[in-house]
This record gives sequence, structure tokens and C-alpha cells, in this order.
Amino acid sequence: MDSLYLLIPLSVALVLAILAVFGWALHGGQFEDLESEAERILTEEDRPLDSDQASGKSPREQSRDLI
Amino acid sequence: MASSAATSTPAAPRRATDGVYNDTAVRLFALAAVVWGVVGMLVGVIIAAQLAWPQLNLGIPWLSYGRLRPLHTNAVIFAFGGSVLFATAYHVVQRTCQTRLFMPGLALFTFWAWQLVIVAAAITLPLGLTQGKEYAELEWPIDLLIAVVWVSYAIVFFGTIGTRKVRHIYVANWFFGAFIIAVALLHIVNSVAIPAGLFKSYSAYSGVQDAMIQWWYGHNAVGFFLTAGFLGIMYYYIPKQAERPIYSYRLSIVHFWALIFTYMWAGPHHLHYTALPDWAQSVGMVFSLVLLAPSWGGMINGIMTLSGAWHKLRDDPILKFLIVSLSFYGMSTFEGPMMSIKTVNALSHYTDWTVGHVHSGALGWVGLISMGALYHLIPRLFGRTAMFSVKAIELHFWIATIGIVLYIAAMWIAGVMQGLMWRAVNADGTLVYTFVESVKATYPYYVVRLVGGLLYLTGMLIMAWNVVMTVRSGKAVAAPIPVVAAAHA
Amino acid sequence: MTAATAIPANAPLSVVDDPIEQGRYTRWVTGAAGERLGESSLQLSGMYCAACAGLIEHAIHGVDGVHSVQVSAAAQRATVRWDPERTRPSALIEAVRGAGYDAVPDAAAPARALRRREHRQALWRLFVASFCAMQVMMLATPSYVAGPGELAPDLWQLLAWGSWLLSLPVLAFSAAPFFSGAWRALRQRHISMDVPVALGLAITFIASSGATFDPGGIFGDEVYFDSLTMFVSFLLGARYLELLARHRAAVALESALARLPETAWRVAADGSIEAISVHRLRPGDLVRVPVGQAFPADGVLQGGATQADESLLSGESQAVLKTGDAALVAGSTNLGAPVLMRVQRVGADTRFEAIVSMMRSAMSQRPASARLADRWAAPFLWVVLLLAAGGAAVWSVIDPARAVWVAVAVLIVTCPCALSLAAPAALTAAARGLARRGVMVQRLDAIETLATAQHFFFDKTGTLTEDRLHLAAVRLTAAAQAAGVDAARAAALAASLAAWSTHPLSRALATATAAEAADGVPAAHPAWSAIEELPGRGLSAADEAGRIWRLGAQAWVDATAAGDPAAQVWLGCDGRALATFEFQEALRPGTAEALQALRAEGVAITVLTGDTSERAQALAARIGVADVRAGATPEAKLAAVIAAQAAGHRVAMVGDGINDAPVLARADVSLAMGQGALVSRSQADAVIASNRLGDLVRARRTARQALRIVRQNFIWAGAYNALCIPLALIGWLPPWAAGLGMALSSLVVVFNALRAAR
Repeated sequence: MDSLYLLIPLSVALVLAILAVFGWALHGGQFEDLESEAERILTEEDRPLDSDQASGKSPREQSRDLI
Repeated sequence: MASSAATSTPAAPRRATDGVYNDTAVRLFALAAVVWGVVGMLVGVIIAAQLAWPQLNLGIPWLSYGRLRPLHTNAVIFAFGGSVLFATAYHVVQRTCQTRLFMPGLALFTFWAWQLVIVAAAITLPLGLTQGKEYAELEWPIDLLIAVVWVSYAIVFFGTIGTRKVRHIYVANWFFGAFIIAVALLHIVNSVAIPAGLFKSYSAYSGVQDAMIQWWYGHNAVGFFLTAGFLGIMYYYIPKQAERPIYSYRLSIVHFWALIFTYMWAGPHHLHYTALPDWAQSVGMVFSLVLLAPSWGGMINGIMTLSGAWHKLRDDPILKFLIVSLSFYGMSTFEGPMMSIKTVNALSHYTDWTVGHVHSGALGWVGLISMGALYHLIPRLFGRTAMFSVKAIELHFWIATIGIVLYIAAMWIAGVMQGLMWRAVNADGTLVYTFVESVKATYPYYVVRLVGGLLYLTGMLIMAWNVVMTVRSGKAVAAPIPVVAAAHA
Repeated sequence: MTAATAIPANAPLSVVDDPIEQGRYTRWVTGAAGERLGESSLQLSGMYCAACAGLIEHAIHGVDGVHSVQVSAAAQRATVRWDPERTRPSALIEAVRGAGYDAVPDAAAPARALRRREHRQALWRLFVASFCAMQVMMLATPSYVAGPGELAPDLWQLLAWGSWLLSLPVLAFSAAPFFSGAWRALRQRHISMDVPVALGLAITFIASSGATFDPGGIFGDEVYFDSLTMFVSFLLGARYLELLARHRAAVALESALARLPETAWRVAADGSIEAISVHRLRPGDLVRVPVGQAFPADGVLQGGATQADESLLSGESQAVLKTGDAALVAGSTNLGAPVLMRVQRVGADTRFEAIVSMMRSAMSQRPASARLADRWAAPFLWVVLLLAAGGAAVWSVIDPARAVWVAVAVLIVTCPCALSLAAPAALTAAARGLARRGVMVQRLDAIETLATAQHFFFDKTGTLTEDRLHLAAVRLTAAAQAAGVDAARAAALAASLAAWSTHPLSRALATATAAEAADGVPAAHPAWSAIEELPGRGLSAADEAGRIWRLGAQAWVDATAAGDPAAQVWLGCDGRALATFEFQEALRPGTAEALQALRAEGVAITVLTGDTSERAQALAARIGVADVRAGATPEAKLAAVIAAQAAGHRVAMVGDGINDAPVLARADVSLAMGQGALVSRSQADAVIASNRLGDLVRARRTARQALRIVRQNFIWAGAYNALCIPLALIGWLPPWAAGLGMALSSLVVVFNALRAAR
């Protein structure tokens, strides 16, 4: 079952990567205050406008890297 | 870790919008999804007819069943399903991060390149150019293009998350993210091949090893492409359409991680009673059964979102699509583990029961949730709050559902019948039935299945009409990104 | 009691800006542009929906100088980053008030941040352990399901290698608390439950590693990585549940901390009054103390007269008259009239703080209640080690290749798992059950002690009794009968007059008549004018007809009336007594029955009180308690408990006041009433949040049930071990059985423990 020589090390590496992602999420506060996060998608305003109301600033200039 | 975003100078008016979302790619993919849906289902209807009436192969190689079948699977999964996933992922990630797409030009590239992939598939597959691996038939140049598109997709998606203005990453994005990464991994590993010509290659793996890797890919493609990605869709569009938050947000997060825990090992259940070692088959069986729990957790979470508001189902056909899709999801994720039990599989393997199972998931879960999501999304992309005709949505729903029921019922009966016929032995050990006898017995069910498929295609055509009318009466508008006061640090 | 100037209306908020107070709810961070920003935590109130969060965020964001706002609707908290150059916290609170809500500084923020860190760390360890355990289990499954010879050796080794790799994070990170706990215990020459756990983990890992990298060598060829990782996951899962229970109790306590900082009104030399934080007071300062507030420091009265409620400090249930240059105690409440006080001792020097420090030293001398499990740990460990060594010795003669593995099998199968889960699982479940019934447990070990305590000490005022008096009798004089005033009317008149006073007797009058008027007949009362309250005497006022009514001491109301020793308050009009009112301490409902139930279960009961002997005896008679010690100072209470402990009793203390804090600290197990002083509540092992003594009895029963379940769990774990050890020694226990048995025995323990919650 030689394919396992590929698949098993791959899945071990994947497990470690997944752990890293979970750790990043946990320590970054992704699991705090879950009730209001569920509500948040419902309260955003989403009325379409004419596209010439777009501002000049790019998102990069407006936001900071939140990672 | 997180910190507040510095807003623009205090003098800026607080109610002004920071900009508009970039929905061009969303619009293009959404419309393409409808088109490819019709195309893919049409090919499906054709090949279903060919199974009932082989004369319809017409003696033309490019229209033969063997070549059209992969065209059908690729069209519905990657062209239709893929377009839906691209459209909704780009839409949801912007809205939940309250920022524009990262590198919108690259997003547009993914659209055109993806269309190129589809067109290339539509040309090469009928020409018989195939790698022969299920759901991975496309030859190596197209595989390379897919890889390029996928990497670009990942850059746009994760880049948008990286530049988000809201600290929390909504749960749907986790599903989308996992789907994107998993598919990249699966595609690249499984498609490793040695080219022997422009459209000819040999898989880097061989024999039963190749089978193992192929079905590691195949099942996880189902798991991540057709499940995780669409669960992401479910977790956003159901709350939005129902105007209620997800039943238990905490459960949705647990659901995600539980699914990630267990998905990787179910592959071998496609290879029961083959050359694959017995113990590998058993491992596949065990973990397919384990998968039942997290899958149903997600289903319950989605359906219970309507708890206390079930009356909305009566009047809102879009909600019907979304909620009923979850019931089919539940059904398929129960049927699947049952079929992965070796004794059950001994009956079902190679029969049409497998086809029935695939289509209950594909038509019932993937199809209906896509339609529901598109019905919610498309009007809003064109400055409207509802589709041109809500009655047409209702009609579509019922026609599609009846079609699904006919389809899977026909395939269940056919499948079990085939399995029983094939294993029937006389007292002296000879087979009772010849193979062709089982084929003959299956014929009526092929016709019923064709009817079911035709109904489903009809529904899709109604949707196409409805979309055209909606687009014509609306106009493409840019939605403003609401100011996130100071950032939600 | 001359007030030089009126107290400014917005004064309370400005105290919030005092740096001394700010330190409790604000920390300093650096903003994006490198500027210094304050990050303050505010507790919000008045939020009734998710949309309110958005409104509050918007309101706060409207304040110039605010950089970011994050409102948590579920926790009702706002975290605000603000620029100290441009705004102040008081402006933030004003903005919230302007939006129609309210906010107070959230002094619990540091404690909460600590808990959040603790929670994250525990969850992280648990996730790593369980995720890796799941993957290791997948990698181990082939060896379970494969028949002999089906699995090629190098494939087997690949699977084992993968399992080894994934067990590393579990062992090195997730299981670290067990290793460090074991190390700490061993350094103190003491064996806690962590020791066999750590030993088991280490040996299992080493042996399995040996089998992985040198199959067929001295470690044999069985790997136990799946048992190892599952084991760690179970243990961490139990600890995680314990942590959740503990945190829930802490949150319940902290909700009491959400109030505006304590303010003192300091009178300057020129007679003006400024509101300052109590922490800024110095000896020699002159402060004005309004009615209803606590005295901010120890000091002396500067003229005038008032009454003080010192019940929390001394247990004295009656208000104490203060006149002339009487001593005033920090923490007691000013009841009678606004007065001026000259500060003598502040902060750590006050009587209040002296009691608190007595409490702290009592805590450190508290008899250590060894956890049940830890007492078993040492003998268990020795037995297991002997058996393992013995088994290895025997096998090294019979078949040396198996010697090490038999020893390892013995160690694994004895599974300290069930033993280390036995107590925590049951105690956590019991704590949850108790919380549902109104008793918040802050230290889980206390449940074990509560079950075995035989001598209960009760404080009287505020514990057995409610913190208010109740009207026992109304007696009319001949003059009342002549004037046609009946008891109800007299009480109603008295109550309407008493509404102007905060004296405990007045409040009792007001509540009594409010209860009676509940059947819909509003007592019509005159519009009082010229209302005056004289400490030590009473209230006087004029009605519409101009008659002067007086409510209070007999001498003042009607000097000529015949005495009535039982009556505490007299009502009279124009110098003639109309009615007398007798009051009693209100026993908490269910007290007598609760004490009766405790006595029926064989518990000795003593009542300790700082109140006078007559009142103590009167109450004791009502509840049927013989052993009453009255006039007890905190030192005396402490001495009583120490004496009982010296006599070999397990002592439980139930109290509420500040004066009970040292005793609560010293008793083997302590419970505080939910209405009690903050320092007592934070000190006690459990808080009777419902204020019902009946819940104490139920809590004790639950604790005893929990202890029974713990014993059952130990017996089960022991029986399981007794069965499996011989099997392992003989070599009959295959790896999958050992792992399965371990998992099953743990599950049995956990499910049995769930019964403790009922």
C-alpha cells in the first residue's frame, strides 16, 4: 500500500497545520462573543448605490492588517 | 493580536461610505452558474436518454455515452457548482469582512480562466482526451490551468480576509477557506502525471496505489468541494433569507472543526472488495460512519434557524429551496455511511444505487442550496430586492423536488434490484441471471430517471428565464461598504 | 450638621476620572500612530436587544477623542480606546447615559482578563490533545482491524511513526500540567494524583517510542499512542469542565463589583465641597457623609448627631446612636442625618481593614483538607509499581522479551485515569447541580468538606435573620380609640411619616404597611410639611390641619404616657400618644426548619453573634438552638471556631458580615449569604445566592451524595484494576483491550458522576 507513504506524512503535516490555524484563531479571539457575531451579518446595511459614489481610497489604505 | 483600525481623520463625515464592494466577478459567476447549470443538466438528460435508448449514441464518437458522461459530471460539479462557489465566496467574504475584494483584477481573471477551463473540457472530453480518473478526467494542461486559477482564488479570498475591517471571521468563511485549501491540495496531489503529449499523460501512481489516491481525492472532493463549500453558502444565505441568526453559532464552529477532524480518511469506502487491502477498506468504513455525527450537527443547526418562524416557509419559496436542501443533505449523509458498511456495500457497489446516492446529494443538496442562494443573490446584484417572478420560483421548487424524488426512487429500486440479481446463485453455484437480463430489467427505471432529470432540467430552464427577466429589469449597481464606525477591534 | 454648600449634581462621575480609580478599569496601550491611549472597560445596563449594542457604539463613537469601541451585547460590556489628550472616561459614561442607557466602570476587567487567559490556555491544550488523539486513533485503526500478516511491517512502522509524531505535542504541551504538578508534589516529598498519571504517561510514551523505532527490541512491538493521547484528552476534558464551573461562580460574584467608585465629599478650608475618591483621604481631612452612605474612613463625629448601622461590622442589629464626638467606623452606614466627620484612620489602618487582614492570616493557617484522591495516590502508586516490577521480574525468567511489556501493560491498564477522574467529575457535576439551586461553589474541594462537617457555626444578623426588622405588633392607646383611629390607620400614618427616614425601624414600618395595602386599599395619608428628623428621638411633621405629629422615642412623642417596655416606636399627635409599635428581627423564611433538618442529620449547631445577649437569646428560643454566644467580636468568633477545630470537629461557618470574614477564612468549609458583605462573599467557599437556608441543607445533601458517588467511582476503579492487573500480568491483555478498558472505565466514572448534579 505504497500510496500511504505519501498520504500519511501528508496528513500528519496537515494535522500540524490545522493545529496551528486553530491556535491562531483561539489566541486571536475568534471564539469570543459568538452571539453578537451571529447577529452581525443581519445588521449590515446593504443598499445599492450608484457606482460613482465610490471613494478614492483603496481598502489597504483604509484598514490595518488585522492578522 | 487585533487592534483598532485607524479611521480616516476625525474630520471625515462619519456616515460616508468607505467605498463600494466589488461585485463584478460575483455577477459574472452567478450568471455563468445559471448557464452552466442548464448545460450540465442538459448533457445529463442526454446521457440518461442514451442509457435507456443506446441508439441515441447516433454512432458519433463525440456524442457517445462514454465521452459525454464525464462532460456531464464536470459540467455540473465544476462549471455549475464551481461557479456558484466562486460567486458566493466572493460575495460573502466581502460582506462579512466589510471590505472590498483583495485584487479584484485577479478575481476577474479567475472568472475568465475558469470559463476557459470549462470550454477546454467541453472540447477535449467529447474528443476522448481523458486521464480516466473520476472527477479528474481533464488532461494535464487543463489541470495546470485549474491549479493557476485555484491559487488565484486563494489569493483573492484569503487576501480579502487579511484586509478585513471586522476582527471576527464569520463561520461561513471558515468553510470556504477549508474548501479552497483542501481542493488545492487534493487536485495537485491527485493530478501529478507524466505528460506524453499535449493531451496525453500517465498518472504518477499506478494500479491499486493510484486507486487509493484517486479515491482519497474523489471522496474528499465530495467532502470539501460539494459539502464544506456549500455549507459555507448555507451558513450565510439561510440567516440572510430568513432574517434570523443561525440557531447556534457556537454549534456551527464546533461543526466545522468536527468535520475537519474526520473527513480525510473516508476515501477507501469507494474501494470495498477490490484489490485494496481489507484493513484499509475497514478503516474507510469506520470513519465514514464517524462522519455522520458532525454532518447532522450542521444540518440541525441550519434547519433550526427557522425555529419559531416556520411560517416563513409557507410564503417564501427561496427558503423552501434552502431548508429542503438541508433535508436532502441529512438524507445523503445518512445514506452514505450506511452504504460504506461492507455488507451493504457488497450489494450496492457498481449498481445504480450509488448513482441514486450521488444524485440525492447533488440534486437535493448541492442543486437546491445553489438555486436558493442564487435566487437571493441575483436580484440584489441588479438593484432589486426580489426576483422578477416569485411564483416562478415556487413552480421551480416543486418541479425540481418532484424530479429529485422520481430520480432517486428509480435509482434505489434499480440498484437494489441489480444487486440482488447479480448475486442470485442457483443451487449448483451458477448465476441465476445473465448480466444482460439485469440490464433489461433496469430499462423502465432508466426511463423514470430520465423523466425525473427532465423535470429537474425544466426547473432550471424556468430559473434561467426568471434570471433573464430579472437582469433586464434591474441594473448592475454597486453596493456601499458601511462604515465600521471605528473598527470592531 | 450644617451643609456649607450643596453637593454638585454631576460630582459622582468626576471621581471616575481620578487616576487612582482609573487604574481599576483602564489600561494604557499604544495606538496605531504611537500615541498613548487608554483602554477602558465599562459595564453597561439597560440593553435589551442586539440593536442596543449598535446604538451605544454609535453614542460612544460620537465623543471626540474616541478611537474605537467594541460593545458585547451578550456580556453587556463596552471596551473603549480613547485619547487622554482629548477626552475622559466620564465623558464616555455621559454619552452612554445620553443614549438612554447607563454605564459604570468595570473593575472586574483584570480578573476577567486573567480568566480569559486561563480559559484559552485550557481550551488550547484540550484541543491539541483531542485533535491529535483523533488522528492517532485513525492511524492506529489499521493495526486493530488487520488480520495477522496482513499489514506489512514497514507500513506498520509508518503508521507507528505518524502516531509518534502526533503524540509529541500532546505529551510535551497538553500534558505539561500533569508533569509540572507531579514534579512540584515530589519536590515537597508528597504524592498527589499527578504522580501516577505522569509516570504512566512517561513510561507508555517511552515504551511505545522504543517499539516504534526498534520493533522487536526490548520494548516489544506494541504501541499505545492511542491510549496515551485519549487518556490525556479525557483528563484535560475533566479539568476543563472544572474550570468552567469555577469561572461561572466567579462571574456571579463579580456582577456585584459593577458600581461607581466610592466617593467621599471632602470639605475644604473655605467650606467648599469636592468629590474625591475615598483612596485620597488623609487623616485630618474633614468629610461630609450624606445619609445612606457608608462612612469612608475611621473618624470622629464633628458635632450634630446621627445613627449608624454597624451590623456588618459587629453584628449589632440595632442602629447605634452617635452624638458629640462619637467614634465612627469605616464601612458602617450613616442612617440618621448628614454629618461631618474628622478622618482619623484611612485605608489599611481602619477597623474594616484590620478585620480583613485578620481574615487573610486565618486563611493561611487553615487546616489543609487533603483531597480524597491525593490520599489514595501514594498507596496506589506503590502497589502498582510493585506489581509491575514483580511482573517484569517473573517474566524476565520465563520469557525475557515480554518482561518490559508486561510491566508496561500493568502500568497502562491500572489507568490512573478513572482514579483521577473519579473525584473531579463528581464534584464538578455537584457544583453544577448546586448552582442551579442557588448555591455557587467557589472552591470545589469544599464540597467534600461540607459533606463531612459535623459542627456548624451560624452568624445571626443577616444570616439567620434578614437584614431588616419587621413589625410584630401595633398597640393603640385609649386616646387613639377615643379619636377613632384603628390599628391599620395608625400604622398607615406612621408609615407615611416614616417614609422620610432611612432608619431601619422606619423602613420596617414602611414595608409592613406596603404589604398590607397590597389588597388594594390605598391608605390615604396627609401631606406632611415641616418634616424633621432628630437622631435619638425621631421624626416630626405637621399635617394639613397644622397638628404636629411625632414618631419615635416615647419620651419625645408623649412624655406622660404609660411606659411599654416592648414598644420601640411611638406615634403621637400634638403630644398625645396614639399607638406603639413593636418590632422583631425577621427570621429568614425556612430557618427554623433548616436548622431542625441539620440537627436531625446529627449536626451540632452554634450561633455566634455580635448582638446583645437578650436579642440573641430571644432569637435562639424561636429557632430552638441552645448554644448561643452573644456579644462576640470577630476575634471571639475566630477563637470559638479554633477551639472547636482543636477538639477535633470539622467546622462549617455560615455568615454574611465583614466581621465574619476571618471566621469564614478559618473554618474548614465556609458559606456566605448572597446578600452579605463583598469581602465575605469573595472569601467563602460557597455563596448561598438564594439567601435561603433551606438551600444550605440541600447543598449538604448534594455534597454527601457527591461523596458517595466519588467513593463508588473509586470502588469501581479499584475493581476494574483488580480484575485487569492479573490479566495483564499473565499476558492475556491485548493492547486494544487495555485501551478499550481504560476508555470504558473512564466513561463509567464520568457517567456515574453526572448523577451528582441531581
